Amino acid sequence: MSTLDRSTPPAPAPLREFRFPRIRRRVLDNGMTVLHAVHGIAPIVTIHFVADAGAVREGNARAGLAELTANLLETGTASKDAQQIAVELETLGAQLETAVSWDATSLSLTVPAEHAPTALAILGEILLQPAFVSSEFERLRQEQLGQIVRRKQDPRLLAADVMGRFFYAPESPYSRPLIGTTETVSALGQHDVIEFYHDRFGPATSAVLLVGAVDERLLAAVEHTFGAWESAAKPGAAVPTNPATDRTTVYIVDRPGSVQSELRIGHVGLARHHPDFFPVVVMNAILGGLFTSRLNLNLREKHGFTYGARSAFAFRRYPGPFVMQAAVANDVTARAVEESLREVDLLRDNGATIDEVIAARDFIIGVQPLELQTTEQLAVRLAEIFTFDLPDDYFDHFRRGIAEVTPDDVKRVAVEHIHPDRFAIVVVGSAEHVEKPLRDLDLGPVLTHRIND
Amino acid sequence: MKEKPVIRFERFALDNGLRVVAAHDASAPVVAVNLWYNVGSRNEREGRTGFAHLFEHMMFQGSEHVPENAHFALIEKVGGSLNGSTWLDRTNYFETLPSHHLELGLWLESDRLGWLLPAMTQEKLDNQREVVKNERRWRVDNQPYGDWDEQLQEMMYPPDHPYHHSVIGSMDDLDAATLEDVEEFFRTYYTPNNAVLTIAGDFNPATLPDLVERYFGEIPAGPPVPPIPGRTQLEPLLGEEIRRVVEQDVTLPRIYLAFRIPRYGSDEFYTAAVIAQMLGEGKGALLYRHLIRTGLAQDVVAYAFPIVVGAAMMVAWTTAMPGIDVGSLERALLDAVAELRNASDADVTRAIRMIEASRLRDLQRVDERADTLSMFTMLFDDPDRINTEIERICAVTTNDVRAFAECFLGVNNRALLEYVPRKS
Repeated sequence: MSTLDRSTPPAPAPLREFRFPRIRRRVLDNGMTVLHAVHGIAPIVTIHFVADAGAVREGNARAGLAELTANLLETGTASKDAQQIAVELETLGAQLETAVSWDATSLSLTVPAEHAPTALAILGEILLQPAFVSSEFERLRQEQLGQIVRRKQDPRLLAADVMGRFFYAPESPYSRPLIGTTETVSALGQHDVIEFYHDRFGPATSAVLLVGAVDERLLAAVEHTFGAWESAAKPGAAVPTNPATDRTTVYIVDRPGSVQSELRIGHVGLARHHPDFFPVVVMNAILGGLFTSRLNLNLREKHGFTYGARSAFAFRRYPGPFVMQAAVANDVTARAVEESLREVDLLRDNGATIDEVIAARDFIIGVQPLELQTTEQLAVRLAEIFTFDLPDDYFDHFRRGIAEVTPDDVKRVAVEHIHPDRFAIVVVGSAEHVEKPLRDLDLGPVLTHRIND
Repeated sequence: MKEKPVIRFERFALDNGLRVVAAHDASAPVVAVNLWYNVGSRNEREGRTGFAHLFEHMMFQGSEHVPENAHFALIEKVGGSLNGSTWLDRTNYFETLPSHHLELGLWLESDRLGWLLPAMTQEKLDNQREVVKNERRWRVDNQPYGDWDEQLQEMMYPPDHPYHHSVIGSMDDLDAATLEDVEEFFRTYYTPNNAVLTIAGDFNPATLPDLVERYFGEIPAGPPVPPIPGRTQLEPLLGEEIRRVVEQDVTLPRIYLAFRIPRYGSDEFYTAAVIAQMLGEGKGALLYRHLIRTGLAQDVVAYAFPIVVGAAMMVAWTTAMPGIDVGSLERALLDAVAELRNASDADVTRAIRMIEASRLRDLQRVDERADTLSMFTMLFDDPDRINTEIERICAVTTNDVRAFAECFLGVNNRALLEYVPRKS
């Protein structure tokens, strides 16, 4: 065998073609959408129900209602109580995951294929015949209030929950915590849940997604379970997403005793349907989406300020936030803010190199098959197609959309969609340690809040 | 379950002692490269807690032929993902790649196993020391209840046992680490004879052995690895109840309840794994029923640590609802655990069916398959446990659960770590 030349990385073998799994669509007689795909080799099926019942739909005065409604669904039906539902599903090997985002409520489970029809029938009962038992309502409402208390103890969750109010104007739902506040959740009544359920859950607002060892028998079971569902629920209307401020402002959320500051720097970003979606994804990868992004290499690998720095555009149905984030030691908090802002300026002023753009594009394209190994992962993609009303072949063209992004595009979208003159710079940490250095940066007004303000 | 999918693999070893497992499956154009090194925080010497983990960070700082930052950059640019992790018994490194880039993974992993030291500098060490200290702040010091594993390991293992200290280590010990430590640790533990390499997913099975030989074959074997320091044998039971109360800046009390249990790999361990599932997994779980449905707690977790030196531990934890005092929560928690002595067939069956199904889900991923094969090869010299371990789980009976609860879940074998709000 010849001696190996280790001085350069080995050349790749020939590329094996990757095709996004074939997605099939069925529309039931009542208008309900079913998307399905045969995927993988494991004898399992993921059943994923998704509805246009996200937190944007609840109304600001009822913040936390989507979460409470979703959690209450699995606590009783016409024929089963909460414990029976859990035990029956879990004895099939299925664990029901309920999730509420700004855009949607989902209930999903993955189950050995032989038990899929049984699990589907239980899921159908949960969704179509919820009992909304008052004792369970009260228990879950208290639990949600307890979670609100707990999230305030934790600096990361606290930062996630308070960030919105510094990014968005009070009339925007994105201005408040997804889980609601003590005030709004305390005011929720059982009638609110019932009303939200009837308003948001129905064949016109929801879809069933099936992925894995899907067969005709299971598709027939879906038709049987959901085909006669009647509801007046209709797709929702747009919500306001206007910003909280038009000038860069520093907001310190004082958490005495903190040894790190949780930084969240950003502003109102873009909706999922924005025509610049592809160039923005590539631009963000370079700024803070990759491990080898500019933010992480600077804040972590060069300065050692943090365990990790990143940035993201939260592409929601309506413009979600753009945010750069890191947890940094107290004594370097102001410097980390400065370096983050410097990276934004550099990207806006000089753009990115062709090598950076190629690396980012190739990552996003290349990683796609890695992120489609499981039935759950593909189901999440199908949910994206439904929630954002994307064409069924969207992911077949996704790679081309990314591949066409140029360095000029990257620079253009950095200039157009990142606005250093109107950043909310949110710092959850010890005001005693960080306030003066942040003031000395002279970035704009510095406002200090207590955690419960 | 009707048909249990079998994960097929080949295993072989190189002359330098590197053990290799290759599990072929071309259903997706994806391949995982996974290395386990038989070194973890248990191998650290006094005054150097946290070093195994700090060393793991240094493994990403380049090697003789791989420039600084290139390790991450080269993998990201082909659409791969990568990381490493350090735990009590082991350190692992892994990348998942589009399968035509398999050789890139082998090149990177072999270069840092064979040629790490020429690339080490004081500057890199100082930088990663700061990164790790920030990781500690992030995970431990700035998190409510963040030091629970540190506290619990101190309570559950005697001072001369290698599990007495936590993986992340102390700030002082991190400060004390030197480049000489990096060199010594590397020469001692990062040798082919102290590692397992697994490749899972899409590759050419006919050429794989030659490919592995090409990249790893010329790395010389290292000296025999020294034994784990300190006391590695333990009594089967703690012999007492150990209690600790920690005041912290939290609003809600949280309780950690731990039991000493037989080491990972023993029959009793699998009973403990079923018990942990019965207690904490899913909304049908015992602790969910007794603590959450009753309004006392807002979360429950139970976990049997798969660790092998002397004894393992099973830990359950729960966070109080506002207004619930730690005493009421403790009583309910202990009552729920006591119920295991009269465990029902239905609860045992629920737990086993859930574990079976979760294996099926987890093993869809090539990275999970590779890591599991590395683990079983390293810990038990038996990669086939990826297929057979589930039989031992399924063999656990209600009587086993009851007998285990009687023997291991009593007052003379438990530790209670309770976080309470600071008295202001």
